[in-house]
Amino acid sequence: MHFEHIDQLLKSEYAFFLREKNNWSLTASPQDLELVAHALRVLLHAKTTPDFLPDYLALVDYQNTDGGWSPFSADNESTVWVSAFCGLMLIRGNRLLKNEQISKSVQRAIDYFLDTQKADGHWVDPRWADLDTTSHPVSFFNVVLGLQEPYRRADVLRSWERGGRFIIDNQSADGGWYDDDFHPSGVEITAHLIQDAVVADLVIDRRLSGAQESCAKGATKLYEWQAQDGSWDGENVDHTMDCTRSLMVVTRILNDPRAEEVIIRGLQWIFTHKNEHGWGDFPGEETNLERTCDGLDTLLKYKAYQGNDRQEVIRLWGYIP
Amino acid sequence: MPEQWLEACPVDELPPGSRKLVKLNGIEIALFNINGTVFAIKNRCPHRSGPLIRGFTDDAGGVKCPMHGWRFDLRDGSSERPAQATVYSVKMENNLLYLSL
Repeated sequence: MHFEHIDQLLKSEYAFFLREKNNWSLTASPQDLELVAHALRVLLHAKTTPDFLPDYLALVDYQNTDGGWSPFSADNESTVWVSAFCGLMLIRGNRLLKNEQISKSVQRAIDYFLDTQKADGHWVDPRWADLDTTSHPVSFFNVVLGLQEPYRRADVLRSWERGGRFIIDNQSADGGWYDDDFHPSGVEITAHLIQDAVVADLVIDRRLSGAQESCAKGATKLYEWQAQDGSWDGENVDHTMDCTRSLMVVTRILNDPRAEEVIIRGLQWIFTHKNEHGWGDFPGEETNLERTCDGLDTLLKYKAYQGNDRQEVIRLWGYIP
Repeated sequence: MPEQWLEACPVDELPPGSRKLVKLNGIEIALFNINGTVFAIKNRCPHRSGPLIRGFTDDAGGVKCPMHGWRFDLRDGSSERPAQATVYSVKMENNLLYLSL
């Protein structure tokens, strides 16, 4: 995998992403906030966040009174999954922006997740599986803790620990996580849970007993699930990007050298199935912006993964400053 | 607006157990033949626009999106999730399938 090729690809895809700005920016019109969060993550990892302060402030403006966000910006009923993604982008973006309005917004988001957690530690969102939903506030709290946000810290710590415990306790003996309704194959959910929720404990706090074993089993399951051609889950572009990125951070933290070859095969498949600009959900599908953001994010993370600083890829999940 | 029947494809291009993607009036429509009954549903999942043509069907007449598992009843587009898919009536005439748009 040549860096020169990746750099050229990043340059052209990022230019395409910017040309599409009116289709993802809240400064242009109300938007699908899951797409907005994907776009803000690209800005963050392309290190261009400071050029887009109005986009971050627009996201603050769309925060609901309960501290959450709605799947569509113009609506006012908060849901957990998208709220966590928005909160995550704001707390991470604000490391660079250092904006007081964003700080307050992050604190309101913390209130929202503390208010909505169920007694057994999980969160619910009708649009996503409970395990997947739970991984998102846990991921947000990972970063809240990793970046030393002091607001309601003791409450956050308790909530985070209960959420993480719920996830680890629901791992199957074979190392995967499954949901009969949303994720029967288990591929995407397993990739999400190890990278977004469990592995952070190994660099932040080491409070969750079994976290290391859980991640190792999850990563091994992802190796097993990869097809010969390098893809995952029936040539699913989204899930292949999820698995490839997940293995970058999880195996870097676990120091598992087996991942390198698996990651390269995944990336090569992703390159092969790129459209002229961007990616679709499956080979041959037309480009959509959300998948294109995932593709850019995958390339940016791979650059960090292959760089000289072995911690850099972990920083791209926000788990260390 | 009056009902409009549009030719989708010859019947023999969709034998039991098969599926086919057609485009009518600019709309991608996924056709499924489940145990001899043909169903037609708008190809894009209302959740995150996943392609239902690549979804998982069941004998109860449902299709599950390959992206995040939302299931839709192919008879009426209903779902346990907070969404409604668009389905189309199907008729067969002269060995051709027609959809009502």
